Order: sequence, then C-alpha cells, then structure tokens
Amino acid sequence: MRFHCTFGVNFWTFESFQPNTAAMANREARFNQTVLVDTTPMPDHIPKVEEIGATSAPLLSASYFIGDRCKAYNDDFMKCKDESNGRGEFDCLKEGRKVTRCAASVIKDINTHCLDQFKAHWECLENNNHQLWECRRPEVQLNSCVFDKLGLKKTLPGAPEGQVPVHLRPKQKYAQYPGPQW
Amino acid sequence: MGVPFEALLPYGIIITMFGVSGYGLHYVKRFANDGKKARWNRDLWDRQMMERDQRITGSFRGQSSNHQAPTGFDVSNPWKIESRIY
Repeated sequence: MRFHCTFGVNFWTFESFQPNTAAMANREARFNQTVLVDTTPMPDHIPKVEEIGATSAPLLSASYFIGDRCKAYNDDFMKCKDESNGRGEFDCLKEGRKVTRCAASVIKDINTHCLDQFKAHWECLENNNHQLWECRRPEVQLNSCVFDKLGLKKTLPGAPEGQVPVHLRPKQKYAQYPGPQW
Repeated sequence: MGVPFEALLPYGIIITMFGVSGYGLHYVKRFANDGKKARWNRDLWDRQMMERDQRITGSFRGQSSNHQAPTGFDVSNPWKIESRIY
C-alpha cells in the first residue's frame, strides 16, 4: 500500500533511494501498539546455542575484536542470508550459531584476560552516550592489552590509505576534552 | 551613593530559582538513568539495544559483560504486534 502525504510530495516514489529489496523480505513499516512475549522455547529439533549476555556498551567496546576474530563466520552468515531469498531466518541457523559462539568466545577471552581495561572502557562509553571519541584513553589501554594477550587488533574497515586512522589520533574532534586524550 | 539592598533582592530570587530548577533537573535525570549521564540523540538501533539491555539486566541503563545470557533470555524477546488496517 502506498502512503501519500499531504505536502504534495510522494516520498515513496523515490525508488532510487531504496535498496534493492527484490531478494530481501520486504514489507512496509508500521507502528506497533503492543508487544507479545511468547515464552515457548525453540523446538527440540533446532540445536541450542548460548545467547550472548553482554549488553550494549561492552558489545560496542568489544566489537572490533569480535570483527577481527569472527570475520569469516560473519561473512559466511551474511552471504548465506543474501543467497537464501528471504528465508535466511530458517536456512542460516547453522551459520548464525557459529556467529554467536564466536562472539561469545571473544567476550569470554576479553573478560578473562583484560577485565580491568575492558570495564574501564565500557563504563566510559556508557557514561558518554556510547561515543567512542570520548573514551580514547581507556580504549588505547584496552587495545594494547587485547593485542598482547589475545592477538586481536582493532582496524577500521574501509579507512582511507595513507592516513592515521581516527582511533589512533591523540586529539579527537568533537570530544568534550579538546586536548590530547593520552 | 549606594544602591539600596532591596534592589538586589529580586536578583537573589532569580538566581535561586534558576539554580533550583537546574540542579533539580540534573538530579532527576541522573536518578532516572541509574546515576549515569543521560543518553541523547538515540536512534532506532540505540533504542532497541537499550531494550535488549533491559531484558538482560532489568534496567535500561544496566550493563553486563557476561558472555552468557541469563536464563530465560532466549524466550523473552517480545514480538511487536501491529494493528492491521486491511
């Protein structure tokens, strides 16, 4: 169903702004009024996986390390979803379990080896609206600890060549503290 | 020639009242955010992550770095129910 707004402009006719959704499950967005919590567990023929218990700030703090160790699994999962013509929720459960287990292993390792630096970083993020540029000092310590103990390195995918990546510049634009953060 | 002190009383009242409302809002916001600074400029991703935080820790601002979700987390995901118009 097309939604025509009253300003005389039909936003939905700008097809070029929308991604190619021919192969994806596509339906229009609606506001939801209520939620339903269905506590029926998954059927037995679907293998179980331990869900990740880390919340938003620790996940953001560990995200680049998860990406470093789990890149192959993540890419595999995205490729599977891409190729399954909208049935990815059913067909890619095996790949999804691998993604979950890999990310959980990274978080478990960071908790084991770099708990103090990890905690300092995600508490800083949680207190600064989850903005990475406010927390470079704990981030540098976390990065060096994780590289020493686990061998995982933070790299920014798609960063331009020949420049210092933004997380390695001592002075951070837009940060509340204007000087060098470490 | 000196200014009579009565002329400064309104300024005292103004400063006090702005101070009360400012500090009051500060403490109310901190109280509502579990003693942390309030989140701002949240988008859909941030909001749904905060809902997930609430499912894990019981509070929208609570944080936990466990690698293992608490019991019942895998069945506490709410379905968003929409009203149909056709």
